[in-house]
Amino acid sequence: MAFSSITFLYFFLPLALGFHYLFKNMVYRNIVLLLFSLIFYAWGEPIMILVLLFTALFDYGNGLLIERFRGSLKAKVVLVFSIIVNIGALVAFKYSGFLYDNLSLLFDLPFQRPKVFLPIGISFYIFRTLSYTTDVYRGTVAAQRNPFSYLLYISLFQLTFMGPIARYEQLQPTLESRHFSWNDFSAGINRFCLGLFKKILIANVAAELTDKYLVNGFSDLTGADAWFGIVMFSIYLYFDFSGYSDMAIGIGRMFGLHILENFRHPYAAISVADFYRRWHISLGTFFRDYVYIPLGGNRKYQDRNIFIVWMLTGLWHGAQWNYVLWGCYFGVIMILEKYARSVLAVTPRFLKHTYTLILIVFSRAIFYFEDFDALWNFITIHLFDFHTFSNLGIAVDVTTHIYWLTIVIILCIPWNEFIRNTGKVWRFFTQSYLYTSPIISLAFLVLSTMMILGSSFNPFFYQKF
Amino acid sequence: MIHKINVIVFLSAILIGTTAFFTLKKEKISVDEKRELAEMKPFNWETFTQKEWSKGTAAYLADHFPFRKALIDGSDKIKAAKGIILETQERIILAKKPLKKPKTVIDPTISHMSYVDDFEEDYTGDLLILNGRVYNLTGGSTKMAAVFAKMVNEYASALKGHTTVYTAVPPVACAFIPVEKYKKYNTQNRNTLAAIGANLKNGAVFSDVFTELNNHSGEQLFFGTDHHWNATGAYYGYVAFCKAAGLTPVPLAKMDKKIKYGFLGTMYQTTRDQSVKEHADTFKYYIPKVATKAVRYSEYNYNSPQRVSVFANSNGGNMYSTFVSGDHPLIKITTGVKNGRKCAVVKNSMGNAFSVFLISHFEEIYVIDFRYSKHNLMSLIRENKIDDLIFAVGLYATMSNGTINMMRRLASHAGMAPPAPPTKPSNDTIRKSPNQQPDTL
Repeated sequence: MAFSSITFLYFFLPLALGFHYLFKNMVYRNIVLLLFSLIFYAWGEPIMILVLLFTALFDYGNGLLIERFRGSLKAKVVLVFSIIVNIGALVAFKYSGFLYDNLSLLFDLPFQRPKVFLPIGISFYIFRTLSYTTDVYRGTVAAQRNPFSYLLYISLFQLTFMGPIARYEQLQPTLESRHFSWNDFSAGINRFCLGLFKKILIANVAAELTDKYLVNGFSDLTGADAWFGIVMFSIYLYFDFSGYSDMAIGIGRMFGLHILENFRHPYAAISVADFYRRWHISLGTFFRDYVYIPLGGNRKYQDRNIFIVWMLTGLWHGAQWNYVLWGCYFGVIMILEKYARSVLAVTPRFLKHTYTLILIVFSRAIFYFEDFDALWNFITIHLFDFHTFSNLGIAVDVTTHIYWLTIVIILCIPWNEFIRNTGKVWRFFTQSYLYTSPIISLAFLVLSTMMILGSSFNPFFYQKF
Repeated sequence: MIHKINVIVFLSAILIGTTAFFTLKKEKISVDEKRELAEMKPFNWETFTQKEWSKGTAAYLADHFPFRKALIDGSDKIKAAKGIILETQERIILAKKPLKKPKTVIDPTISHMSYVDDFEEDYTGDLLILNGRVYNLTGGSTKMAAVFAKMVNEYASALKGHTTVYTAVPPVACAFIPVEKYKKYNTQNRNTLAAIGANLKNGAVFSDVFTELNNHSGEQLFFGTDHHWNATGAYYGYVAFCKAAGLTPVPLAKMDKKIKYGFLGTMYQTTRDQSVKEHADTFKYYIPKVATKAVRYSEYNYNSPQRVSVFANSNGGNMYSTFVSGDHPLIKITTGVKNGRKCAVVKNSMGNAFSVFLISHFEEIYVIDFRYSKHNLMSLIRENKIDDLIFAVGLYATMSNGTINMMRRLASHAGMAPPAPPTKPSNDTIRKSPNQQPDTL
């Protein structure tokens, strides 16, 4: 069930909110939240919910064991066992086909390609449960004694499908105790409606334009078409995923849960490293805290560590070589940026911004084409086909989407970063937004409902991870 | 206070939608979409684990959402408001395959409905919007034209000496886009249709519909909001057939001209484009001055024939169903032309507008929709002593092995034998001559 579906908006959400706030007792509220979370997941994965249940119960037990054996080798053994089983499950469900395809090129494998279905959101909840056991081992959090509380953390419907990869230590306080607040609820509504607007009215339109330029074969694709196509794909990716994160954060606040930010206007970044500090923040911090730092961080073998982290980040996105290549691409850029820090420091902001955008948009081509031949053709023949760079078709698409593109640009600019310290101006904008928010949110809801009904269902791109 | 207002406004909006869903009357059919709206799936272990129940419920809730039609119309306006749309701008949009094939409507009691057209089921690709008209940009392939011709040849071989087999395949509207840069589609369509003619054998006769239409390319031959040809285009198709069959076409001036207004057909439904909506087609059609009686039969048998109109009173998005009351498995038209000549028309929806002109020349016309009919075409031809078999299908149908095989399978369907004709029983059966090619049907 997508957040941007009629089922969720007009049936699931009011029922879940209604039952949740029917009770004042936190235990009952959590029972309601757990039941609705399980229904939400089973709606999309009626069988594969067993994997989620197993993961939750398995690491609930591991958390208790780690705490019991704290300080001894046994705790480490349990942690390693937890990591092996969880990563093993991820490999089995997500990478077994990929491994088979590649190993069968080298060896004559005596068995058929495994037919395994990827459970929705497995990459997200496995990472959340891994962060929990590691944090318990490190002593950052205490092990959860109540299996249902832990199951609630893992199955929380706001987070299961597409994250953010909210850590246990961040969520646990509001899972244990939360109170109804008009402010929270109202802020949650505004955030949710903004996310809905971003998904339905921005991302889905960008997806249509991407399809038009990149999906339908590209024998006639000019250089302008190719760039326009991947720019649209870049817009789509950002608004699709950040829209979903906005909705998750917004729904969380409606229920009194505080979920950390996952995006901070990444297209305003002034370096690739800056971009990834603003993009899918929960994934970046996960790899930083649980891979990069344990590998030695910037204390030893930093270049190697950066490269490994980015290769794994690429692989996390999909079981295809193009994602590995994509990760390596950023691994190399991150290392080069590290060495070019002094140059970047004196480079004008505008140039840094342009350089970042070009590299990011170019990376979308690697991300988009799973077939290397198609990618190679796209880059070598079309992307740099400057002879046929002018194209009337794009001019038409730009004019017929000119208001939409203006909104896209406005939403990509971090206005709050620019005017936060302007005193009166900042106050004027925040007050204006506050008092118009009921109308704006209602408009977003109504417009999105119209568009949902007016178009065929468009699944979220990141749901496949 | 403002936070309270925000919460109340949001929850009220949501609850109005939910409450209206449970209280308002639910439609069963969407006329615009030519489909039955989703029904609630029964809940059981199998439907639950196969995700059919959740998907079905989601489809049911979305299909029956209150004020759905008005909200969808609103979404069209939002789409148009994304930027500046100039009427003369050439815009290419992508027609996507529906994620779920719509359920076809087969209830014969629903007179205003017809079968879902194969265009909507199959067409994906570029659509050009120009001056409020939509063109699907395709010209077919000569390779597939040969495959289609082979199937026609098989019929011609099997029916040689008794029934003459014709093709009357029209081009696609894009063949006549009045802009120089799109002339390539004219050539493509011409080559594809010419390849059908070049590959016909065994006495099969080619009706040069393209040339006839091309000679009148200054006229509106196709609808702008629908993928079908209009009555004028179909008339020139009929003229081409008459030339091939040695018949004298009846001039349009000798027919009754009728006009309906505000036709928004399949192309509008696919694009939902505001400029197309503002250029709704004027639906002109011509009724030959011949008395007719028509009945439709079900897919398999000849029981319980139902009366249908050769020119039905169809309106709205379904206006094209004016011709032979839309798509039915088998329609038999009996005319006042007492010349004993009979024909069978194998067609998809494109053949509907064409078939109605034949009533001036045949005493009996059997209109068979190859997509839905399970009648045995060979039995029908033999038992009714059909003189002419005409393949009047759209270009799409000739460009797919699937649809070509559906036409081929008409020869081997196990549908019930047709009732004996009212004239004396026939002893005449099709006999193969020794030098006849093997009957592959």
